[in-house]
Amino acid sequence: MRMTKLFAACAAAILFMGSGIAYAAASSSEMAADQQQSRISGTVVDAQGEPIPGASVIVKGTTTGTMTDATGVFTLSVRTGATLEVSCIGYTTVEVAAQDKLTIVLEDDAELLAETVVVGYGAQKKVNLTGSVSVVDPEKVLDSRPIPDLGRGLQGTTPGMTVQVGSSEVGSDARIRIRGQVGSEQGSASPLILLDNVEIPSLNLVNPDDIESISVLKDAASASIYGAKAAFGVVLITSKKGAKEAEKVSVTYSGNMAFQSLAKNYQMADVEALHYWVVAGERVGTTTPVGTFMKVDRAGYNAAVAWKEKYGNTVAYDDPMVYGRDWYIGSDGKSKIGVRTYDPYKYLVRSNAPSQTHNVAVAGSKGNTNFNVSLGYLNQKGMLKVTDFDYFSRYNANVRLDTKVNNWLGVHGGIMFTHSTKSWAFATSSTTADPWYYAFRWASNYPLVATDENGNALRNPTCEIATGKQATKDTDYTSINLGTTITPMKNWKINIDYTFSNNDVQTRKPGTRFYGDDIWYATPLTVMDGSDVVTIENEWNSYNGLGATINKMYIKPSDYYSDSYDLLYQDSYTGKRHTWNATSNYGFTLGEAHDFNLMLGLNTVKYAETGVWGQKKMLLNYDNAQFALSTGTETTGGGYVWNSTVGFFGRMNYNYKEKYLFEANLRRDGSSKFRGPLQWRWFPSASAGWRVSEEPWMQSVKPVMNFLKLRASWGMIGDQTVPSSLYIPTIAALDQYWMHEDKVTSAYATPDLVDSDITWQDIVTLDFGVDFSLFNQVDVTFDWYQRDTKNMIVPAEGLSYNIGALPPKGNYGDLRTRGWEFSVRYGKTFSNGLSLSATASLADAKTIVTNYGSAKGISGWYNGKEYGEIWGYRVDRLFQNDDFAHDANGNLIESKDKYGKTYVFADGKDYATQGRIATGSYISGPGDVKFVDLNGDGIIDYGSQLIEDADGNPAYGDYTRIGNSTPRYEYSLMINGDYKGFDFSVFFQGVGKREMLGSSWMTVPGFQMADGGMPATFANDFWFEDKDANGNVIASNYNAFYPRPASCGRGLTFNMVPSDRYMLNMAYFRIKNITLGYTLPKKLTEKVSISKARVYVSLENFFTFDHLNGLPVDPEEIAGYSSFNSSNYNSGFAGVGAPAYKSASFGVQVTF
Amino acid sequence: MKKIFNIIAAAALVLSLSGCEKFLDRPSKTTLDDSNYWYSEDMVRLFVNGAYGAYFFGYGNNWTDAGAPAVFDNGKGEYSDDVTSANKQKDILISLPADNWFRKEQVSGSYSVLARRTSAPWNFAYIRKWNLLIDRLNTMKEEGTLTAEAYNHWMGVARFFRGWEYSRLVESFGDFPYYGESLSTSDFDGQYKDRDPRTFVMDKVMEDFDYAMENVRTNDGADYVNRFVVGTVASRCMLFEGTWYVYHKNDDALKTCTDLDKHAKTYLQKAAEYAGYVIENGNYKFDTDFRTLFGTLYKAPASKEIILYRAYNRTVKTSYSHCVATYCNGEEAQGAAGNLSTLKAWICNDGQPYSSTTVANGDSWRMQDMVVTRDPRFEATFWDEPKNSSTGLYVEKFIDRVGPTYAYNGQARPSQYASNTNENGYPVVRYAETVLNWIEAKAELADKFDGAAVTQADLDKSINAIRQRPLDATAIAKGVQKTAAMDINNLPNDPERTAAPQRTTLGYKTVGFVSPLLWEIRRERRMEFFLEKVRSLDIRRWGQLELMLIANNPDLGIGGYVELDLAATLKAEAAAALGRPAQETNLKKTSDNMGYNLLVAANKDIVSVMPLEGTNADGTLKLGARKFFTCTESNGVITSSNYNEMRGFLVPRNIQDRDPLNVDVRNYLEPICSQVIDQYKEKAAATGKDYKISQNPGWE
Repeated sequence: MRMTKLFAACAAAILFMGSGIAYAAASSSEMAADQQQSRISGTVVDAQGEPIPGASVIVKGTTTGTMTDATGVFTLSVRTGATLEVSCIGYTTVEVAAQDKLTIVLEDDAELLAETVVVGYGAQKKVNLTGSVSVVDPEKVLDSRPIPDLGRGLQGTTPGMTVQVGSSEVGSDARIRIRGQVGSEQGSASPLILLDNVEIPSLNLVNPDDIESISVLKDAASASIYGAKAAFGVVLITSKKGAKEAEKVSVTYSGNMAFQSLAKNYQMADVEALHYWVVAGERVGTTTPVGTFMKVDRAGYNAAVAWKEKYGNTVAYDDPMVYGRDWYIGSDGKSKIGVRTYDPYKYLVRSNAPSQTHNVAVAGSKGNTNFNVSLGYLNQKGMLKVTDFDYFSRYNANVRLDTKVNNWLGVHGGIMFTHSTKSWAFATSSTTADPWYYAFRWASNYPLVATDENGNALRNPTCEIATGKQATKDTDYTSINLGTTITPMKNWKINIDYTFSNNDVQTRKPGTRFYGDDIWYATPLTVMDGSDVVTIENEWNSYNGLGATINKMYIKPSDYYSDSYDLLYQDSYTGKRHTWNATSNYGFTLGEAHDFNLMLGLNTVKYAETGVWGQKKMLLNYDNAQFALSTGTETTGGGYVWNSTVGFFGRMNYNYKEKYLFEANLRRDGSSKFRGPLQWRWFPSASAGWRVSEEPWMQSVKPVMNFLKLRASWGMIGDQTVPSSLYIPTIAALDQYWMHEDKVTSAYATPDLVDSDITWQDIVTLDFGVDFSLFNQVDVTFDWYQRDTKNMIVPAEGLSYNIGALPPKGNYGDLRTRGWEFSVRYGKTFSNGLSLSATASLADAKTIVTNYGSAKGISGWYNGKEYGEIWGYRVDRLFQNDDFAHDANGNLIESKDKYGKTYVFADGKDYATQGRIATGSYISGPGDVKFVDLNGDGIIDYGSQLIEDADGNPAYGDYTRIGNSTPRYEYSLMINGDYKGFDFSVFFQGVGKREMLGSSWMTVPGFQMADGGMPATFANDFWFEDKDANGNVIASNYNAFYPRPASCGRGLTFNMVPSDRYMLNMAYFRIKNITLGYTLPKKLTEKVSISKARVYVSLENFFTFDHLNGLPVDPEEIAGYSSFNSSNYNSGFAGVGAPAYKSASFGVQVTF
Repeated sequence: MKKIFNIIAAAALVLSLSGCEKFLDRPSKTTLDDSNYWYSEDMVRLFVNGAYGAYFFGYGNNWTDAGAPAVFDNGKGEYSDDVTSANKQKDILISLPADNWFRKEQVSGSYSVLARRTSAPWNFAYIRKWNLLIDRLNTMKEEGTLTAEAYNHWMGVARFFRGWEYSRLVESFGDFPYYGESLSTSDFDGQYKDRDPRTFVMDKVMEDFDYAMENVRTNDGADYVNRFVVGTVASRCMLFEGTWYVYHKNDDALKTCTDLDKHAKTYLQKAAEYAGYVIENGNYKFDTDFRTLFGTLYKAPASKEIILYRAYNRTVKTSYSHCVATYCNGEEAQGAAGNLSTLKAWICNDGQPYSSTTVANGDSWRMQDMVVTRDPRFEATFWDEPKNSSTGLYVEKFIDRVGPTYAYNGQARPSQYASNTNENGYPVVRYAETVLNWIEAKAELADKFDGAAVTQADLDKSINAIRQRPLDATAIAKGVQKTAAMDINNLPNDPERTAAPQRTTLGYKTVGFVSPLLWEIRRERRMEFFLEKVRSLDIRRWGQLELMLIANNPDLGIGGYVELDLAATLKAEAAAALGRPAQETNLKKTSDNMGYNLLVAANKDIVSVMPLEGTNADGTLKLGARKFFTCTESNGVITSSNYNEMRGFLVPRNIQDRDPLNVDVRNYLEPICSQVIDQYKEKAAATGKDYKISQNPGWE
């Protein structure tokens, strides 16, 4: 029976359905043995005698139960001798023997009230917090999710903290900002990320499984204790230190197996892309084949449609490319016309990329010693098909130990080690164009299939990625910590910690040479190796008119390679950091009610980084790229960076009866980034809180609002993220092209002009907050804040050009971010054992340039600019044929006004001229975008692009602010539930508003048209009008969303000048995670000495709702951002990198 | 317990007091700054090194070719009467620019000059560089870091460059604010001062040059500035300024200056003195054939003519290369190319102009004939047949003799003749300029300021010495002859000297026609420096910018002599249709037969020639009416009625004259751009002071 139950439970858990019924049924059948029931009622009150509504009353060992009503009263049927379990959030749980007319008193849950939050150099009771601090519960947001890195895990967990997964490249860091996207023009706005009070270079180094707690310090009052690096907030991570229970050793294993596939059903254009291409050419009079390598003309497009019909279902995607059937040489005798289409997703994107994690932890406590030892492993495959080299792997080891030597001395120490490998196929040497860039770059008729009919490889991404050698970036991070805790007397605690960390990054990029049909440049041959000319049937004769037979053509395969990747590159960078933290804490109480806590501390950080790189060209052996086995030019370089900071700080906490709360911080900071007298600055901050609910006059509303606290804080932190060259008249070494005596000679430039008075930027934050709870079930937190960047470093004004140097930068500017954060948490345990909680948050921030001198250009910074604003035209609609006048032959009438070329509008159509938008052969006509003449001057233009001219009038023509690239109204909702061993959670996250101007062929129709790649979205819905030889329209799409095709080069030109209609709406709503877990009943698992066993399934990133019309662009994407480059990755083009993925996973957690 | 406290307190104290300042002392170890840079003479040398590319740009570097010779790109090439392009001629400047200057030192080593001026933009970066160097040298001297000799030399170098920089700025803008020392950020009166008269600025320049001529080392190692470099460049600047006052003395722009004649004389004397020093002391000779000067690969040729040389060698460093030879490789089309005015300027090897030469075939204008009848520099400068350019003239001066043979033989070119990987070097300062500056200054002094008359010995030291330059084997094989020496008593009488175009120029209005001697000296400069951006400055200082308007100078609108019907125009079947013998080409091979195939249907009514009808009574050329190519095309067969008439001087396709505003008197000087003017205005408004910058005449 027992085994059966266990089996049933396990099987059910594995099937994820119905198991609750199986187990519950068994329980109820046991209960059925005793039918003696009686009805009782009672009241639940708190220590003050006030009734507690919503308390849960359960008959112990059953699922029978109820809840108290608003007056604290419950009624319940119980069998004789039963025990009642009475619980409510915020109170201790009480067990009483069931009897009628009970009055059950619940004591305040001291533990809950004593719930502490990790803050800067210490912990504080949550209820007494005066600063703006958010806490992330790692168990809830990290434990059951198939996420490789902590950054993704933190997304949506903290109102006011923006986590952008800007790149889907495996191993990429998420981009984190706290309260606004920008801190200053020169500096960065990244928060300080601390692991056990020591800065770490990347969140990717931390094993999410090793994390005990995460606090996010958002306002200056909470963050300022960390000094200058904390100007933009702190993410404070503490690692697991040991067992939670005394005298026990537990072993935990957790594992997860995930499969990744495309996050959305993306589609690149098929034959429709060729149609688009042909039409774009025809509008400017090009009827000869268009394209770069594989070309197409009208005949080719028609043949491609026929190909699709004839072979679409019979030719498999990996069947070789065949001459005559799939491509032919056009009537000009040289153009390679491709008529078969190829879908990059089929050739290059993995459909089930596996990922796995395994973690083992041993935690324990023996006597005065606590320890925690853990090992972790992660391997995540990338989404790139045809290579095994696209993956990210990580090994983590973590050891923590602490012991009390005697009653006043404790020592602790730990070692953390991380080894990660980012691996990729080295097919192109450049990160401005990686393999993904080429995967989507070419038109649909560019052959992505591996071989031609002779079995020779084709020059294409498929072949090149498959041939590419393994490039790796290995990171080894070691952190060693030793510290002591001294307790000289009760209430006085001294902590001294030293941490050494070493971050070693090694990159290796072995080049290669490719072999295949060079369809880029090679001229096709009629015969190969001197055999006879073979003629074949011209399958597409009815389209291309080349005659019934054509000569069979070949491309001769050959080696092809470029100087830029026929090389071996290696680099090695090592950063060493020494961190000392010493704090002294003394708490005392004056009289009965005046609680004081004083802290003094010292923090020093010394950092040095050395690096060297070398490269040698012309490899001898591509399978074993070595410097010793290369013959070409050698180049090498390196660097050395060192810096240090020192901070002395003090904090005083005071509270009166835990009712009036006050905290003040003062920090004296020194940074090596500044010179002489500017190295040191004082930075003060203070915060205060009032627990209104503790006031006697509030006691009457306490049953409803059981907690209410008002908070306010103010603080100033110096920002040292600016480059140090701003302060120093650097003399730069020049790349000197002159030879003296046939040798390279060094040369130096003139020193920059610097402002000798330049000093720190001050980040001043003001925060008002309120926290309250209702009915012991709903917790609400709201914060409003204002963060000013004062003395922002911007170029000096008013200097004459005659001074002969760029104006020095000085503290002349100001910036202001205002925002608010709201979160609400609801938690309840129902009488039937169901426990539910939900947390929702919403936050917004907006940054305004408040002082930037007299600059006026709308594309730069000016006074009043909202950071991230996007300027462009408003679109009325697409022009149609009847908007224009036609001559006797039905042709448009070309005209020229002083603004440029136009077509004459039809009578009575008094539209603004769009001549300014025309260049070359492009003229705005039917199917093109009709912009709104916002200023009504009859010309569509953007004036001089100044916010105002010398007379104070707007000087931006018809431009207007059409959007903003800053994420706004970020929201999240997490729902957790527990029921009889089952747990589930659903996590929603989204951004309410964000816009982006596209800049790639994936986001802008006609962009880099010559290459031809485009998403189906454009190709399936563009304005066209195909005519037969007599000029009759045979096909059209007048109601299209996208305008008439036009090749707009590598920019936003013609129809695609920035406009509201074609700007991308990047708002999204995502179901980030759905997890369903089941914890096997303890009484079963204990039999095999397992204290806890849980299995779960988790779906990550599974449902996305966006406004991108199916464009293959992830709404979270930041163009140009990846693990390779933080900007200009893949030329800064959106959507051309690794595609976003979702994961389905299965995991196990076992504790012995 | 107390003990522990004491230990902690002591430790904290030690850390906080003793260690801190040192702990925070983390100056960058990989960069130098103004406070720790100036510790030895070597550092001064490296600081000056950074400017070589900016002052001696030679062929530029990589694709950076603005300022380099023979660049045919629109907007970057030569702005003079020596080149003509198809379509509309390049604008100099019509409207006041908002900002077309550079406000930074060009750190990659090449100075972006204003292409249309071949002189400096409104950029004070180099003024600051040299003033800063002068200041630091004085500090180093005080601190004893430099020996007196080293100090004198480097001070001379710094002042030479400062003088040259101001001279270039004056060439562009005329009057110019002069700063003799570094400007401070708080000195607004200095920063916003008005322009100083150019005579004031050039007097300061002269002081700098005088100092440099006394103190710069005569030898500071190969490829470094020495006194002979200074002498030649300083004579260039002084000659420019001296002649400017002669030919512009009535300009409105010179109204700010006084004693123009006195200044002109002084500067011309200085030009002669500086160049004379080089001639007397420099031991330079014309011992090298012309093409070797420009086409030698990788390192300087052994030549006594070269005073300073810029070599290119990718083996030394991959980036040490340029793209100028590529423009001359026989394959690349030349957009703007020589015209009839150029052709007329070249004398025949008997020392006589085309109108009076007695050389056999000297009256032929076919390139094939001209290369053997003209001064040897003609053959060294041009391809010996019409080729792929807008006018048919194809320059191959800036490549070695081997380079163009690849295109000629239809072979792939090695990297040194293609792309931006050219490796031939350039004589950035050469003795020919020294002697031509010297002889011109002497002739002007004799002509206008009662200077000593130019003697035969003077000519023999200068122009005749150049004419004795050796010929290379290729030239000798073609039959090229050295040009006869110039005889002071028997100077040629060139009818072009007094022809109509000369009368339209500002210089003529100032002083009348130039003397036959000055005419010949100017001609010598034109032949010697063709496409080296010397002509642009020359016609400006001589007051002859008006020659750049086709309306004034019709020869500008006419190209070289061509026989288009003999070119590879028709395939055999097309020729048969015309009843003509199938003709491959009379041109030598090019890789794609692309050389000169103009008679195609697409060029119907576009290609035209002007036939040669003989000479006028005064010996000048007489040309017939312009004839356009007419034809019809059917199935690839061209039928033309005037096929045979396509012989004559080629008129560049769709040719259009410049806007007359381009060659207005105001164009002699660059305007002060509106952003600079606005900056002065804004500062005046903000401070209530009377800051203003005066504009050049015609641009107000």
